[in-house]
Amino acid sequence: MTKEPVAVVGIGQTAHVAARRDVSLAGLVREAAQRALDDAGLAWADIDAVVLGKAPDFFEGVMMPELYLADALGAVGKPMLRVHTAGSVGGSTALVAANLVAARVHRTVLTLAFEKQSESNAMWGLSLPIPFQQPLLAGAGGFFAPHIRAYMRRSGAPGTIGSLVAYKDRRNALKNPYAHLHEQDLTLEKVQSSPMLWDPIRYSETCPSSDGACAMILADRAGAARSPHPPAWVHGGAMRSEPTLFAGKDFVSPQAGKDCAADVYRQAGITDPRREIDAVEMYVPFSWYEPMWLENLGFAAEGEGWKLTESGATELDGDLPVNPSGGVLSTNPIGASGMLRFAEAALQVRGRAGAHQVDGARRALGHAYGGGAQFFSMWLVGAEPPV
Amino acid sequence: MSEVLTAPLVVEFPFTRSLGPVQSAFLTGLREGTVLGVRAGDGRIVVPPTEYDPVTAEETRELVEVAPAGTVTTWAWNPAPRRGQPLATPFAWVLVRLDGADTALLHALDAPGPDAVRTGMRVRIRWAAERTGAITDIACFEPHDQPPDEGQPAAHDGHFAAPVTGITTPARLDYTYAPGRAQSRYLQALGGRKTIGERCPSCRKVYVPPRGACPTCGVATDTQVEVGPRGTVTTFCIVNIKARNVDIEVPYVYAHIALDGADLALHARIGGIPYDQVRMGLRVEPVWTEDGRYPDHYRPTGEPDADYDSYKELI
Repeated sequence: MTKEPVAVVGIGQTAHVAARRDVSLAGLVREAAQRALDDAGLAWADIDAVVLGKAPDFFEGVMMPELYLADALGAVGKPMLRVHTAGSVGGSTALVAANLVAARVHRTVLTLAFEKQSESNAMWGLSLPIPFQQPLLAGAGGFFAPHIRAYMRRSGAPGTIGSLVAYKDRRNALKNPYAHLHEQDLTLEKVQSSPMLWDPIRYSETCPSSDGACAMILADRAGAARSPHPPAWVHGGAMRSEPTLFAGKDFVSPQAGKDCAADVYRQAGITDPRREIDAVEMYVPFSWYEPMWLENLGFAAEGEGWKLTESGATELDGDLPVNPSGGVLSTNPIGASGMLRFAEAALQVRGRAGAHQVDGARRALGHAYGGGAQFFSMWLVGAEPPV
Repeated sequence: MSEVLTAPLVVEFPFTRSLGPVQSAFLTGLREGTVLGVRAGDGRIVVPPTEYDPVTAEETRELVEVAPAGTVTTWAWNPAPRRGQPLATPFAWVLVRLDGADTALLHALDAPGPDAVRTGMRVRIRWAAERTGAITDIACFEPHDQPPDEGQPAAHDGHFAAPVTGITTPARLDYTYAPGRAQSRYLQALGGRKTIGERCPSCRKVYVPPRGACPTCGVATDTQVEVGPRGTVTTFCIVNIKARNVDIEVPYVYAHIALDGADLALHARIGGIPYDQVRMGLRVEPVWTEDGRYPDHYRPTGEPDADYDSYKELI
């Protein structure tokens, strides 16, 4: 029996800001979910199941928040699942929801991911002291910076590439009313002279800490037919994992990421991603990850990703726009960041991305990664139903 | 069998909560000695109030005031209170349906013993002497002999002067941490200023620090191998920002060091060289302090830098 085609019929997100002090956690997720329902023209009673994702519980200090959020997400009397795969969780949450529709377990599923970073401190949450170990690590930036240096050495990329990505993504964010950072006065020079935090990562090349949520309504063919707006169709989706550390691990281009992308392209019938994909929303929390992932995802040969960035191809008006929404560099409610990538890819092929719409986008890739570059989740969405 | 280490691990943080309209009214009400509930779509009065209807999922915003006295619907005796619980002496956990409410609130009942507690007993709030807008503004419940108030709860607009909009909820977890046998062996060898790794019998890779198993092959590592003491900096970053738990002066160099004979890099600080002169391929050796469990840092050996090809597979 073939799989049921899966359609994205509703998308909602909150405005993302440093601290949403006006709402509770429940109020925050509710806002995104209600907007997704409105977009889909559906009511709470139309939802069959809820699949929720967020990053580690220490990021708010609410253990098992899915229990507390059941009322707010209309999940009473329905199946509710919580997914956790660190930073990639927003993507894997959407894929778990999509699989429930594809398997014909449910017809209409609400999937949602969130983080309210202002209620905790992510740098604390990621650097807990462990007995018998030397406390050396300084948050995610300290973890990823050596891998960026390794990429620079391996590829011979000029030291300015990261600043080009940061400047591009922050300018794209000016066209996205939901983005956290709207830095009207940012210049490339300001990016390049911003303080060095974890050398080679500068302040302006790091993601912010945001409160926000993102929700999607996924439906079967019948649900798509009733949708008031054009749906996005899921053409492929995959997840891959590998250990944080092992002998032979390639931190610059992890095997799990390559395998995940290959699986998605195979499902979607993509043989030349550079030519066949119109827009990419990839998980770039530190600017240099754009060229690194361009290689890992097969858009450029090994060592050549930075040339795509340098050429302007990944700009909003380039031939392979990357992060037209402004990406993680402009908005980072950690648990939601992966789902925002998936949702923004879907908005592009639905033609509903507003001022950051890529003209004529028919196929888009949403990508997320998490942990020590060890969890990967991706989907490819299209304007047409899968054949 | 070598000794397996354990140590206490305390994880604590003062998490903050923004309350939103309903919880803000409820907690501010407690500060003012007023208990608020919310009317659900089916007419029931929910206390403590929820923001969303437990049946229909619609927003619930119609607040009502309920009585500060009610009836115990069920209970459990707590003979040994722990830190942070409402009372320091033995007490009953109770669910109390306040007069006017249709649902019950969890709290503590101050009672001399379990024989003094029964389902159906009447209780009332004992307010805390100083109230801030928190559930602890109810110090506990206490026995009470007034019959139930049969009146309908009155509507309340939820408005108070100087509303509480956020609270701090400190959380603390106490663990006993055990690093396991492989890590314990590693730490004991460090005590003799030796660094040992363990070899996977299948892929022959040497893991440092060892974790007792090879994550790639999924088999136990079986051979201890002394590695180092010298090694090569494979990559690094210069940390210019202090993390909350890390007490090292910035800037410092956080490096991946492949010790000679190891198949993956360990992480350590580089010293004995200006931070801006550290480079990939730098040859380093450990520097021990009197009582340190680990090398305090690694410093240059003075050897020529390692050739990139010799360590590029370890990046």
